[in-house]
Amino acid sequence: MRPEDLEILPGSAPDPAVVERIAAAVARDLRPVRPRPAAGAAVAGLLAVFLAVAVPAAARLGFFGVQRMSPGVMAAIFPPLAELALLAAAASVNAMTPGSKRPFHPAALAAGGCCAMAAIFFLLFPDHSLGRFVPQGVACLKTGLLWAAPAAVLAWILLRGGYAVDRAAAGAAGGTFAGLAGLAVLELHCANFRLWHVVVWHLAVVPIAALAGAAVYFFGSKRRDAELMQ
Amino acid sequence: MQPAAELEQLMVRYQQGDAAAVAALIQRLSPQLHRFFLAQFVSRLSADDLLQETWLRIHQVRHTYRPGEPLLPWLYALARHVRVDHYRKARRVAQREQQVEALPEVPAPAAARGPDLEAMLRALPESQREVIVMLKVAGMSIEEVARATASSAGSVKQKAHRAYQTLRRLYEA
Repeated sequence: MRPEDLEILPGSAPDPAVVERIAAAVARDLRPVRPRPAAGAAVAGLLAVFLAVAVPAAARLGFFGVQRMSPGVMAAIFPPLAELALLAAAASVNAMTPGSKRPFHPAALAAGGCCAMAAIFFLLFPDHSLGRFVPQGVACLKTGLLWAAPAAVLAWILLRGGYAVDRAAAGAAGGTFAGLAGLAVLELHCANFRLWHVVVWHLAVVPIAALAGAAVYFFGSKRRDAELMQ
Repeated sequence: MQPAAELEQLMVRYQQGDAAAVAALIQRLSPQLHRFFLAQFVSRLSADDLLQETWLRIHQVRHTYRPGEPLLPWLYALARHVRVDHYRKARRVAQREQQVEALPEVPAPAAARGPDLEAMLRALPESQREVIVMLKVAGMSIEEVARATASSAGSVKQKAHRAYQTLRRLYEA
């Protein structure tokens, strides 16, 4: 006999009365439900949210950043940003569906995404001067977080019918997605191309939004779970 | 073991409000869910409670199952979530309670099982035990266990390999 052949706890079965009670309880409240839309449709919806927040926000604030960028810089920044948004959208959708694939933890996505974008910024922006590092940086951070908030709310509206078995991870995934929308607004709007400004203050939007998303969703949905089981 | 497609079909009919389908699903899946909880060394009474709680949770969120997706990872992800919640609640209660004296040890049920499986399983870390139970009790594939535990297939393989090594060592001892 090999350990692989072990039959664990043979003969243990639930009390038939318990099983009957469960079946009766479920049958009492049985009505048809509509399954959640396909994952692809939900991801497409989130990408629409991303564009619906980032583009109008930058239009309102002014496309100063993108106007100053060369086509090469634009091509180096926006496609990877869009790819990260796609990954964050997929992670958010999967986090709200029990038993979905999770190739990586949403926190790893936030961290890896920031590292990847930082590497791109290091290659693109040679100006290492600090200038008015803190005042300009705080203004950008506020703007990024301000526009991440509506993206988070819209994402939550789209995904709220789902159910997260890992609340913190689901919140972190949604927060990362919203943070990337905030980062996109800053890249379109901010014409300050000093390396440290972009690396520190623009990218900070993503982990801050991810942490905020994890905290808000963890505590918010904990209460909802308790209500669900009443 | 029930063919997966048949279970998935029952789940779809459950979503459509078919009472016979839900009864069949509960009858077929309850024994393996019950064993999943028992294998985590909760009492039989607690396993019954967890089973009820899991089915109620499944009922509340049955719309989150997507037809065409494998059913068992969805089901076990919810069962696992219920178990973790139960464990946290029990820990909070235990912290508030003051133990007045040690309880006498309850003798283990005298089931003839050859090797002491419970003791061998107890030697495994919780994450490895959970993987073994899903693979051996529920008959799930590595990919399905990875989905249910929100981890990668590589991580599940590694946990299963380590668990088998420990079990083999204990069995041969």
